[in-house]
Amino acid sequence: MTDWLLSGLANSGIPLLFMTTFLSCLMVPVPSSLLMLAAGAFAAGGDLSIGAVLLAAYLGAVSGDQTGYAAARLARGPIDALLAGKARAARMMETARIRLDRRGGLTVFLTRWLMSPLGPYVNLTAGATGFSWMRFSMASAAGEAVWVTIYAGLGWAFATNIEMIADLSGSITAGLAAAFVATLLGRHLLRSLHHAR
Amino acid sequence: MTWAGLRHLWQHRRLTLLAFIAASLLAMFFALRLVVAAVYWSDPVHLEQAPDGWMTTGYVARSWQVDPKDVAQALGLDPETHARGVTLEDIAEAQGRPLVDLIADLAAYLAETRP
Repeated sequence: MTDWLLSGLANSGIPLLFMTTFLSCLMVPVPSSLLMLAAGAFAAGGDLSIGAVLLAAYLGAVSGDQTGYAAARLARGPIDALLAGKARAARMMETARIRLDRRGGLTVFLTRWLMSPLGPYVNLTAGATGFSWMRFSMASAAGEAVWVTIYAGLGWAFATNIEMIADLSGSITAGLAAAFVATLLGRHLLRSLHHAR
Repeated sequence: MTWAGLRHLWQHRRLTLLAFIAASLLAMFFALRLVVAAVYWSDPVHLEQAPDGWMTTGYVARSWQVDPKDVAQALGLDPETHARGVTLEDIAEAQGRPLVDLIADLAAYLAETRP
């Protein structure tokens, strides 16, 4: 699929970029980072307009976030009904809700770019727990701006080998996402140990 | 963390404990992969990206730090009228020859200019 997407970049790069960043916010495994890097490099070589690249990637990402949030929000009723009989699952939802309420803006912001693999899941959690739409939208708008600017900018500046940047940035974001999840779970474990004493 | 504590977690929080171990291992895996990738890419030979069908002449020129006009010329195109946003695949098709031939020509040119 990566080859197919790249081969369409020169001819129909702008709509392709929009679709890719949109889908990547909805858990579809598309190589959006690589495509943004390549689009940035194309823009630097004069094959695409950098303004259009940034705008298309940005609008795709923001509308993808909104779609994920809205879908989970609409599913709130059925989810609550499903969890009604399950105390543990309901408690987990409550924990997620409290955590997001306290540091939700920052979580949404950082999972747009620094820990981007977690982004789609945070969208769903935010929608399903009824996290404020205003706060979600502002953090998403700011975070996606950083994401798009970093990747298109790196592609523009280091056009020599986008494969390298995609490789390194993929490891960094995935590693940080895993470390973040491990930290949350570790804190949870330590707390339950503390309570047991 | 004592053995008693670990046993307590295993008995009462098994799923969370397993998820924690999995996430930690995953984080270590990506850290290791980053180190391996950094070593791999620190070799300048690996930095030059071999021409491929999806690339444009402008992209190849930037990747290899050569003049885009020279790249167009090496492919038998008029550098002044050659349009932007045309892939190597498009050029091969317009010239009625296989893409692999065009890429071979381009690679030969690049090897010559950037020994």
